[in-house]
Amino acid sequence: MAQFNLPQNSKIEVGEYYKDKTNSKNLKKVNVYRWDPSTGKNPRVDTFEVDMDNCGPKVLDILFKIKNEIDPSLTFRRSCAHGVCGSCAMNIDGVNTLACIKSHTDINGDLNVYPLPHLKVVKDLIGDLTTLYKQYESIKPWLQTKQTGEEKIELKQSQKDREKLDGYYECILCACCSTSCPSYWWNGDKYLGPAVLLQAYRWINDSRDGDKKERLKKVADELKLYRCHTIMNCTNSCPKGLNPAKAIGSIKKMLATG
Amino acid sequence: MQDNKSPLSPHLQIYKWQISSLLSITHRIVGVVNFFAITLICFWSLSLLLGGDSYEIIYGFLNSFFGKFIAIGLCWTFSFHILNELRHLFWDLGYGFDLKISKITGVLALFGSFILTIVFYLIGNSFF
Repeated sequence: MAQFNLPQNSKIEVGEYYKDKTNSKNLKKVNVYRWDPSTGKNPRVDTFEVDMDNCGPKVLDILFKIKNEIDPSLTFRRSCAHGVCGSCAMNIDGVNTLACIKSHTDINGDLNVYPLPHLKVVKDLIGDLTTLYKQYESIKPWLQTKQTGEEKIELKQSQKDREKLDGYYECILCACCSTSCPSYWWNGDKYLGPAVLLQAYRWINDSRDGDKKERLKKVADELKLYRCHTIMNCTNSCPKGLNPAKAIGSIKKMLATG
Repeated sequence: MQDNKSPLSPHLQIYKWQISSLLSITHRIVGVVNFFAITLICFWSLSLLLGGDSYEIIYGFLNSFFGKFIAIGLCWTFSFHILNELRHLFWDLGYGFDLKISKITGVLALFGSFILTIVFYLIGNSFF
């Protein structure tokens, strides 16, 4: 049975309040989830007053400002800052998205920043995605062919077949969708989740791949696939505008129609 | 990293409800309610077989304020479940996954369920 409450060691406490020291008139209150593994204490939510007159437009800019000017111990993942790498995926204003492409101007009132939901926290805004990566590996996300490597001919793909991968190949595996899915929260160890299933569909759907039947057979499982109940939190959260729910629906349809 | 000391990041507590997720959980709850409703309807028809006296009891109950509340409530649970199940059938056929379309059909199912409830009530009221 799924546990809807947070375990005792995960209950969130009220953290520190960092008052603005710049005398700015344009302040935004930013509530950030904090947890430091070295203290042995429960997680807390710190509130920072941020001077918005001297801050970039994205949520990631705010986090950097806090880290540079207020509290250097704030920990988060980031890399490209252009919505391509997927490192800065987090829960912003209640919905998973990438901090680097989410404008804080879209959010009224206080800004709430949490790590991706229902993950073991490593530190502050960093969640542990080990399970997801293992599941990703389990679907063999590489081309399977009967070629031995001796043939010296390339695997050709028509433009039409290539277009079938549109809307799927763009996935950057930021895990926003999987960690937005209540089914994945309750059955994350068995259910593959939207991100991995979208990837599975991407390979099933690739005209060059020779392992389509085997791939379908492997994914056709009460827990791995059919825990998707079309809740559509995944599609609602995808920062790249992709549709994992549709990909999963397509796999289900393929299995039903043979 | 998977040591037991690490806390679990908040999930239900912080995640913003979407129309889609709200309708999805309602669909499930209403499904369970309908299961009990059908049991109630079975007992109702069983009471017909057991004769007038036993029918009177259930008839009296359903005509009380609380009984009427339950009857109208069940009209809604069935209406909603039927309409939302239609969305699921279309999804199973591969249509209606588009974010905008799924939102529109969701809102339609919700409003449609209220309209259907009123229709059921009016039909029931004028015929029986």
